[in-house]
Amino acid sequence: MKKELEHNFVELLEKHQNIVHKVCRLYTNNQDAHNDLFQEITIQLWKAYPKFRGDSKFSTWMYRVALNTAITLYRKNKRRIRTEDFDAFQFKISAEAYDDSEEEQIKLMYKAVYQLNDIDKALIFLYLEDKGYKEISETMGISEVNARVKMNRIKTKLKTILNP
Amino acid sequence: MDELELLKKDWQKDKNKYPKLSYDDIYKMILKKSSSIVKWIFIISLLEFAFWGIITFALKDTESMKRFESYDADNIIIPISIISYAILAYFFYRFFMNYKTISVTDSAKVLMENILKTRRTVKQYVAFNLIFLVISTIAVLFVEFDKDTELISQVEQASANGEVFMFYAKIILVTAVILAVAIGVLLLFYWLVFGLLLGRLNKNYKELKKLEV
Repeated sequence: MKKELEHNFVELLEKHQNIVHKVCRLYTNNQDAHNDLFQEITIQLWKAYPKFRGDSKFSTWMYRVALNTAITLYRKNKRRIRTEDFDAFQFKISAEAYDDSEEEQIKLMYKAVYQLNDIDKALIFLYLEDKGYKEISETMGISEVNARVKMNRIKTKLKTILNP
Repeated sequence: MDELELLKKDWQKDKNKYPKLSYDDIYKMILKKSSSIVKWIFIISLLEFAFWGIITFALKDTESMKRFESYDADNIIIPISIISYAILAYFFYRFFMNYKTISVTDSAKVLMENILKTRRTVKQYVAFNLIFLVISTIAVLFVEFDKDTELISQVEQASANGEVFMFYAKIILVTAVILAVAIGVLLLFYWLVFGLLLGRLNKNYKELKKLEV
């Protein structure tokens, strides 16, 4: 019974692992921290899995657990982070070819998003994942109206970071 | 905001830029132990309950406590012990019930609230103990002044010399300083441990709460 549960879970997570990688990418700035957070999210997902009912989609359920782990449960590794690591990691992101100005803009946007606080990052993450305000509000535990207000404020914040 | 749309396009495009973990990699991960703050809060809270429990027991066997018991102060000591154990049981029960409600599948806000609620129970218990410590120290002083023959003779001598006020003042001052230092050390310890552990959670919770105003 347990073996079967383990097998199902690992298979599902293997298939949907990109969601976890994306959360790790937003909340960490080097490879070690990325792996560390990935590990903790996996453990939290596994601990919660027996209660997963299947009435929501596995991926939807994953967003919630992964974000909760990143924002609330995870204890940041206090290891010193070298700035070279930070830059290299941040910009491993956009490998595809764009015309120069577009690529530059995207890089700047990523840099701006990294400067947001934990909560703002969570909202931006869900937005980038194309989630509606209903899902954003349910995941964060705020009203839909507040989610919209917050999102607008974050957009303004990003603008200020980009054009100081 | 055009840039954000651009970012969204890029974000959704780069599916293949992430490390691809194999089935075995993930399987190995689920066997490892969590190091989440909830786990640390649980461990530290249990230690706190144990610490105050042990202190209550340890004090029972000390010389001064035995001397104290010989004063026939049972009508004070027994009710106080019963009350303190009942209160320990009550707080422990509440702590455990709160702990059980913590679920990683709740919304971010509810999860944070439940964690903070669990912590609050332990904090209240510690506050109770500190208040209890102050009250019982005062009670002990009163009983000692009433029953301890050595102390009574010292008081008599002091009043014969006309220094009774100084004598009392000294005792009160020394007791107050010892209590203040003990409580100060404990509070500093709390501030450090929970500042480190819950600093980020508190900040994020405030950020979410701010929206409601």
